[in-house]
Amino acid sequence: MIRFEQVSKRYPSGQEALGDLSFELDAGEMAFVAGHSGAGKSTLLRLIALMDRPTRGQVTVNGQNLGQTKRRGIPQLRRGIGMVFQDHRLLMDRSVFDNVALPLRIAGVAREEIGKRVRAALDKVGLLAREASAPVTLSTGEQQRVGIARAIVAKPPVLIADEPTGNLDPMLSAEIMALFAEFQQVGTTVLVASHDLALIKRMHKRVLVLDHGRLIDDFRPAARA
Amino acid sequence: MNRRKPNGRAKEPAVPPVAPVRETSRASARARPGLRAWREQHVQSFYSSLGRLAARPWASTLTLLVMSLALTLPLLLWLLLDNARALGGNLDDARAISVFLKADLDPAAAQAFAASLRTRGDVAQVTLKTPEQGLQEFRNQSGFADALKVLQTNPLPTVLIVTPKIDALAKSVPPPLVAELERDASVNLVQYDALWRQRLDAILEFSTRAAAALAILLALAALLVVGNTVRLDILSRADEITVVQLLGANNAFVRRPFLYGGLCYGVVSGLLALLMIGIVELVLAHPLSELTASYDHRFAVHGLSAAQALALIATSAVLGWLGAWLATTRHLALGQPQ
Repeated sequence: MIRFEQVSKRYPSGQEALGDLSFELDAGEMAFVAGHSGAGKSTLLRLIALMDRPTRGQVTVNGQNLGQTKRRGIPQLRRGIGMVFQDHRLLMDRSVFDNVALPLRIAGVAREEIGKRVRAALDKVGLLAREASAPVTLSTGEQQRVGIARAIVAKPPVLIADEPTGNLDPMLSAEIMALFAEFQQVGTTVLVASHDLALIKRMHKRVLVLDHGRLIDDFRPAARA
Repeated sequence: MNRRKPNGRAKEPAVPPVAPVRETSRASARARPGLRAWREQHVQSFYSSLGRLAARPWASTLTLLVMSLALTLPLLLWLLLDNARALGGNLDDARAISVFLKADLDPAAAQAFAASLRTRGDVAQVTLKTPEQGLQEFRNQSGFADALKVLQTNPLPTVLIVTPKIDALAKSVPPPLVAELERDASVNLVQYDALWRQRLDAILEFSTRAAAALAILLALAALLVVGNTVRLDILSRADEITVVQLLGANNAFVRRPFLYGGLCYGVVSGLLALLMIGIVELVLAHPLSELTASYDHRFAVHGLSAAQALALIATSAVLGWLGAWLATTRHLALGQPQ
């Protein structure tokens, strides 16, 4: 579902963010990207969403070779990828409902359909009662859950998250991670970047460990569904 | 890409997977919902653009005022010129030559001179006005009746109104007849209207060109004003634009609310410009009616026709839209890889 083949990324500043990175994530698989800050976790996710292009190598997402994706094709690619950000990036001047509905409106889904799907997504993250609220009235954990609802509302085959628990306390973090694991259960390919090793260990999932842009470990836990 | 896995969606609510409009709408049974969603997107963009205008009332008002002034100025100038042209009448009316005979010429000699002119090949008609007729006309028309009473004698000369044949005019303006008349011993002064008509035409033509150039420059200014306002709006929403782009919005989706915003600026500015022209007409109505009355109502002042008003609003709307398009295109060109 996500394949990196000898991918390198060097920023114009000369800094090498990723070097000769190769790995493959199967459909419906969940993995963490671990490493200290600056190890290249965010860069890796940015390459998947075509927020950046690799300097060398090839990235394939959802069967699509990103090297051959033209600028006009980027929106279509991104509609197939749910994205969760550390700072959740909600639009503060719109209600929770409108925030979650945004990907569906962008994809041109009809209105009644939007209502159903948004409520289903909000129900899944446990915020159905808050659909009319403004995001500022929500707690940080709730805001992050709205961000997750927005990422999954269009049912993308791929879900990527960059430090989704960076601003949350351990208990909330565990809740959020459990939520991601749930999406994997229904067949979504999930890739989460995090520096919280203790939390990652408890999740018993595959872990790609980055150090200075190189893959130094690809840890797969022994048999566990 | 929005390809979906065929399996593993059991937990989702029982709704059919809806792919983006572009992929399925054409030639399939989903065409209608697709069209409706498209319309809903537009309606929503329209309302959100209104919201954006309202969110920055000062900036919006200033933009509207500047833009409507930029439209009003050249339009008023053009109206003025258009009316001035109607004032002049047409060239045929002005082809008559007024020949003022010397005051000491006796009436019989004047008649003889008129008769000799009538025999010329290039003269169509000669009308003789005696000093008495002239004084009477003057009394009736100019409102100088009281002043004229003071005069002991009639100071007016005999006047011949000579109308040259049209084919004589076609050769040259002024026709050689004018020069010949000027040389004649019994003639005091020859006044040839076509000459100043020609000059007025040249002046009007020049002014119309100048007004057109001014209109183009001011339209450009209006375009830039809208463009700049939309640019500021875009900058204040740069984060939002980034987010919707990450969620898969294409350029059309990002651009749409701004384009509607520009269109709103254009339409409202057009209406404001009409209002301003209306106010100017209202203010000028009274002095103008006095002026036309003093000219025996020989000309009527006209304002904008309904078609012209509509054209103004349409032009303004296009300018607003174009300004917004330029601003969004510029912004969208940045910010995406490759």
